[in-house]
Amino acid sequence: MTHTTDNAWQHPEVQLASGGYVVAYVAGLVLMGLSLWIVRGHVLAPMETGIAISALAGLAALIQCVLLLHLNISETQIWHTVALILFIPLFILAIGLSSWMFHGLYRRTMLMPAAHVSAPATGAQAAGAMKAPG
Amino acid sequence: MSTATNGTLDAKRSPMWSAGYGHDAISTRTLGFWLYMLSDAMMFTALFVAYTVLGHAFNAAGGPWGATVAHPGVAFEETVWLFSSVLAYGLAMIALTKGHRGGVMLGITAALLIALGFLSVDIHEILHLFRMGATPERSGYLSAFFTLVFYHGLHVVAGIAWMLVMLIQVAFTGLTEKVVYRLLNLRLFWHFQAVMWVFMFTFLYLRGAIV
Amino acid sequence: MLVHIDGPWSPLLGRLALSEIPYKNPILVGTFVFAMLVGVVLVGLATYLGAWRTLWRDWLTSVDHKKIGIMYILIGLVMLFRGFIDAVMMRTQQALAVGPRSSGYLHALHGYLTPYHFGQIYTAHGTIMILFAATPLLVGIMNILVPLQIGARDMAYPYLNAVSLWLTAAGAALVMASLFIGNFAHAGWFGIVPVMELPYSPGVGVDYWMWAFQLSSIGTTLGGINLLATIVKMRAPGMTWGRLPIFTWASLSANLISLTTFPVLTVTLALLALDRYVGTHFYTAGLGGNLMLYNDLFWIWGHPEVYFVILPAFGMISEIIPTFSEKPLFGYLGMVLASLGIAGVSWGVWLHHFFTMAAAPAVNAFFSITTMVVGIPTGVKVFNWAFTMFRGRLRFELPMMWASAALFLLLVGGLTGMMNAFATNDYMVHNSVFVVAHFHMMLLLIVYAIFGGVNYWFPKVFGFRLEQRYGKMFFWLFTAGTAVVFIPMFTLGFMGMTRRLDYVAFPQWGPLLDIEVAGIAIYALSVVFLLAQLYVSFRDRAQNRAGLDAWETSRNLEWMTHSPVPFYNFAVTPEIHARDERAWRVEHGVDTVRPERYEDIHMPRNTALPLGLGLLSFGLAFGLVWRIWWLASVCAAMIVVLIVIRSFDNDTDYTIPAQDVERMERDIRDVPSGRPVTGDVAGGVPAFREGV
Repeated sequence: MTHTTDNAWQHPEVQLASGGYVVAYVAGLVLMGLSLWIVRGHVLAPMETGIAISALAGLAALIQCVLLLHLNISETQIWHTVALILFIPLFILAIGLSSWMFHGLYRRTMLMPAAHVSAPATGAQAAGAMKAPG
Repeated sequence: MSTATNGTLDAKRSPMWSAGYGHDAISTRTLGFWLYMLSDAMMFTALFVAYTVLGHAFNAAGGPWGATVAHPGVAFEETVWLFSSVLAYGLAMIALTKGHRGGVMLGITAALLIALGFLSVDIHEILHLFRMGATPERSGYLSAFFTLVFYHGLHVVAGIAWMLVMLIQVAFTGLTEKVVYRLLNLRLFWHFQAVMWVFMFTFLYLRGAIV
Repeated sequence: MLVHIDGPWSPLLGRLALSEIPYKNPILVGTFVFAMLVGVVLVGLATYLGAWRTLWRDWLTSVDHKKIGIMYILIGLVMLFRGFIDAVMMRTQQALAVGPRSSGYLHALHGYLTPYHFGQIYTAHGTIMILFAATPLLVGIMNILVPLQIGARDMAYPYLNAVSLWLTAAGAALVMASLFIGNFAHAGWFGIVPVMELPYSPGVGVDYWMWAFQLSSIGTTLGGINLLATIVKMRAPGMTWGRLPIFTWASLSANLISLTTFPVLTVTLALLALDRYVGTHFYTAGLGGNLMLYNDLFWIWGHPEVYFVILPAFGMISEIIPTFSEKPLFGYLGMVLASLGIAGVSWGVWLHHFFTMAAAPAVNAFFSITTMVVGIPTGVKVFNWAFTMFRGRLRFELPMMWASAALFLLLVGGLTGMMNAFATNDYMVHNSVFVVAHFHMMLLLIVYAIFGGVNYWFPKVFGFRLEQRYGKMFFWLFTAGTAVVFIPMFTLGFMGMTRRLDYVAFPQWGPLLDIEVAGIAIYALSVVFLLAQLYVSFRDRAQNRAGLDAWETSRNLEWMTHSPVPFYNFAVTPEIHARDERAWRVEHGVDTVRPERYEDIHMPRNTALPLGLGLLSFGLAFGLVWRIWWLASVCAAMIVVLIVIRSFDNDTDYTIPAQDVERMERDIRDVPSGRPVTGDVAGGVPAFREGV
């Protein structure tokens, strides 16, 4: 069902390519370098380091999605964007809920060292026990 | 009574059959390939789930763990290689906007060679880890770590093979519709590796080094 | 790197040896003889009818979505039969092996199946029914209907569609091969770890299970991509999202699930393969592995998969009920949102399969609540169907009977599901046959919807209606079987009977198990009437020819083309004006199928490559199962070569000139609606061949 056109490269999707690639390249390297510096130089406390490098990774991925993968709401790209937006919560659900359930599991099966048991989590567990279904 | 949605429509006069209706083959192809890339992202997600669950000290079973295994410096070197290859492929795509075959082939060749550079650093690092006893069979933690590394490496190998095929097709078939949508799909595939690498670099190497 | 395996291994045949052929087991020998007889009859029939050429040109190498759909349905029916035989064996074994005094036959201490053999049977039953019966049947129906309902000529990627089919077929063939060469997994259809690990299951059974699963999983992922892209990109002009037929919406929701979750299954099984072949420690009990990780990953796929099979079933019910109520569907928007809602919520409920894992109470509470939330969109659907029927002109023809009976099963299955959703209650019923009875209600709902759908769309695909008298007998016997098997099973669940018992220690459960055997006998009897229905329908096909709209009150686009549908679907792509386009055109008196002017049609060319890819995948998986490394490597390399070869093929489409289309259209004699007409039957999808 394909229609052969003489100048397929004039298709709008081909024409999306632009100098934005160079911007994405520079931005990606700068952001990743920044993350490396934060970790190597021990500039932040472990907790903050984790948050900072995650945020930088999110920013870098966002820049790449816009500039490299051309995710926008134009006519050729809208469904690409919609599909990704539908997927993102699932990425978060899969990793987030899994790590949540195994965090509780490891504590309850005494695999997790006691030092890792934080006070608020214990409180939440107690509250959860009281609100248990039934 | 039907649930007609168009109340003002005059049935007798409106067209019943569409004339000259066709589908945009290139957009159809890239959408499907993008959906495939997202399913691939879901596979990465599942591997990251395994890495998260098996990422604790006791999952290393007394074997190498944390900063011994994850080397952010080498990983940054790989980042430079991979991003450069992605940029080179991007430049090939800019040449494609003008239908410039030589430019396309030059860019793809550059991307291919730089990707080989990435692979050599990657393999060197893996062999280094193997020599110090950090192998996938050693512990659950290392199984999850190496599976992610190998899975990403496999994508790079597949990308290189695909680039070789595309070089031949651009050279001998020219920029036909099929070649063009394959170039676009390869663009999605290759640029997607950069996005995945951001998460590999951050959560496997940086986060792995500071736990 | 490779794990060392104890026992004989040769470079040529791997672990395969004559001793792996179970020629001493009379049950398997009997099955083998039966399979061979069926095979000989089929081959002989094909040769006698001279059908090999047709079979090859029009079916095996076809990329036509309708034929691929029919082949999917055939695979599904064969595997449904196989799964049913497994069920018969389980029921009879459990009825025989009751109490210490029960006698044993065929080397078994009690009953006639040894525990290891029984384990393989329940594993095969579950695997087959979910992945190789329900999934292919539904994928086949979606394949046939979605392009017709949106006014497309074919799927977005017809070639990929054929690849998906043959991957699924390769998986099914692998399950069948395990009957006669080696054995099958014995650790449950969802794989109990660490029993699935190499030290505890050193045989090839788990490998068969794993690779068969893997092949069908990859096939289904690719199929999901195909259907989604088809729905997004291939709709006819005017087919806005608000006018999309409800079955297409259900397919869209279902394939969102398959696209997002089957990759997780692929990873889950790949990690198990790594554990078994390379010696990694993902799911091991020691060295830092975590066996609960397997359950977590498996059910991230496993629960959404349940909704992947149920959403198309809901979609079919939503098509059948308006037709036989002679009313538009009540609450279209609610139905669409409910389908998408079920697809969305399916992603947050998977832990309810292992509430007893000992996760924190807050975690269990969270998943308990999300599971109950599923009831809301499902309830919306049930009320919409009820309101559609309310004050409608109800006609209880066969499809409507299956569809309305499905609602009762949904009620029973749904309410028991809500009971299981309580984590506290789940601790009581976990692993009991109560849970088994619950999910069989849901899966039987799907089977009912499939039978309804097959009866409903059969005339569209084959051009004649299925006979109703034997069909109704089949329906009533099947329903009786359902009641007689599953009411005692619910009861036994409450009495504390656990799943997968090859020996029942409590004699007081015996009578209820005997009733279940009576139920399965009724099921077996019903199959006879199904065959009678098919035979009589085929014999009297000339009297049962269907017009464009076989039921007179159908509403959607697929009823606007000829029955059987020509290979190009619509001579000219229709313009869509309303939600129920066919109903709208009938109402406005513009329901002719003859366009004013014909146009050239572009069609994809048939190709044998997908079949080759399927065969090579089978070879690859078979080589991996038996650790025949040369076979696996050769097949893997050939797969890559075939894919590259295909990319160099520029002659993948052809054009039918407008005058040819006009000539073919002129030759089609549509039966006028309302009156059954005697006469010649085009009989079956292939009204025309390529290049006529």
